[in-house]
Parts: sequence; structure tokens; C-alpha cells
Amino acid sequence: MKVRRRGGVVRLRLDQVETRLLIRLFDDLVDLVSADDLDAADDPVRRRLFPAGYRDDDAAEAEFRSLTELSLRTERVARARHCADDLAHDPAEVGLTEEIGQRWIAVLNDLRLALGTQLDVTEEDGPEIDPDDPLAQQRAIYYWLTAAQDAIVRALMR
Amino acid sequence: MPGTLTPQREAAKQADSDTRAEPDLPWITIVWNDPINLMSYVTHVFMTVFGYPKGKAEKLMLDVHRLGRAVVSTGTRERMELDVATLHGYGLWATLQHDS
Repeated sequence: MKVRRRGGVVRLRLDQVETRLLIRLFDDLVDLVSADDLDAADDPVRRRLFPAGYRDDDAAEAEFRSLTELSLRTERVARARHCADDLAHDPAEVGLTEEIGQRWIAVLNDLRLALGTQLDVTEEDGPEIDPDDPLAQQRAIYYWLTAAQDAIVRALMR
Repeated sequence: MPGTLTPQREAAKQADSDTRAEPDLPWITIVWNDPINLMSYVTHVFMTVFGYPKGKAEKLMLDVHRLGRAVVSTGTRERMELDVATLHGYGLWATLQHDS
């Protein structure tokens, strides 16, 4: 994956393996976010993607959630599908205009929140990976997504 | 998640009507530190959502990172609910509460 600014536009270049991986991750994210089991209080990933707005007020939180959860899900599903469409349009390069760039950094963040929560990452974790770790591949994907998101955010802010 | 101990939640339920009876007190939106959101991304979100200049956005991001939390906006309850919902859309861990 390469992030370059050319002709005033930030461009994301991907090889075939990266594009296929992202399409699979977008599909998984859509499934995860649209799963209709709202009673997911025990699922740390769902709790991280749909955090409480009120920490100490159950009644207010229930009302807040009823007003916001559906649109939050819709927003996440729409941008994952949109980014998959961007790759269907051109699997090798995505031109990150302001609007497209915003949804790409947000979708990469959604993927990192889901995967990072599953991996229980901490701020002390570095990108070095123990090859004997059974989750080594998942960790490698997480750090690849992290590098991609950081590079795009920095390019867009410049 | 913080504040999920049952006794506290039960107590909060009972206190709910009292909390809502003070409309004049401002409400605040708090962003909490987490190990996943990147410093660059959090700064970018504060600039995008609130229109803060880069310096202010970076200072708030560093407060979140170093102190564990920062108040990122202040206003009516409705406005803070909107801010929190918007920040959740960006994947930030945000909550709102009375400024007490």
C-alpha cells in the first residue's frame, strides 16, 4: 500500500492481495455491524463500536441508544459498502478527494476498532510480532491497517 | 466499559429525574483515551467535527492521551448528544454529562 499526493490529490495505491483483503474485511464489517442481536452487552467489539453516551444513567442511555444506534449502524454499513465500491471501480488506486478520504480513514478506523478490540491491543503494544503467536496474522493485519490509516490522515491534513 | 457496576447503575436510575431538573447547567462532551484511536486521527476528527484550529485540536488530543480524558465541547444537553453521536460515528469513545 502506498499513499502519495499527486496532482493535488492524495492517492491510495494497493496491490491485488491488499485489495482482496480489504474487500473481505469490509464484508466482515458489514456483517458484524448489521447483525441484529442488539442484546450484545457482553460482546466487547459491539460495545466498542456502539459505546454508551451516558456512563452513569441507564434510562438516559437507553433513550440515547434508541435515537442513535440505527443511524450509527447505517453510517458504518454505508461507508464500508462505499469503500468496497471504490475498489470495484478501480482495484489498484483510489483517489482520495476530501469526501472519499474522510470515508476511507473512518472505515479503516472501524476495522481497527473491531480487530484491535478482538486482539485486546494496548498502547504499549508495538508492531513487532511473535511468529509463534496464534494471532500473528490478525496482528499483522491490524498494524497494516494502522499504518495505512495514519499515512492517509497525515496526507489529508498536509 | 466504565460505570457498569450494577449498584451504581441502579443509583443513577433513581437520580435521573433530579439530573434533568437543572436545565441551566451546561452539559459537557468528554472524549476518553483508548489504545486504538491514533493521535493523528483524533486530532483530525476534532478539527473536522468542531472546526477547531490544528493547535487546539492537538492540545485536546494530547490531554486525552496523557490525562485519560478531555472536555471537547460544552453546551445544551441536546447539542452534546449530537456531538457524542457524531464522535461515535468517527469511532471515538465519547460521553456526555452535566458539568458539575
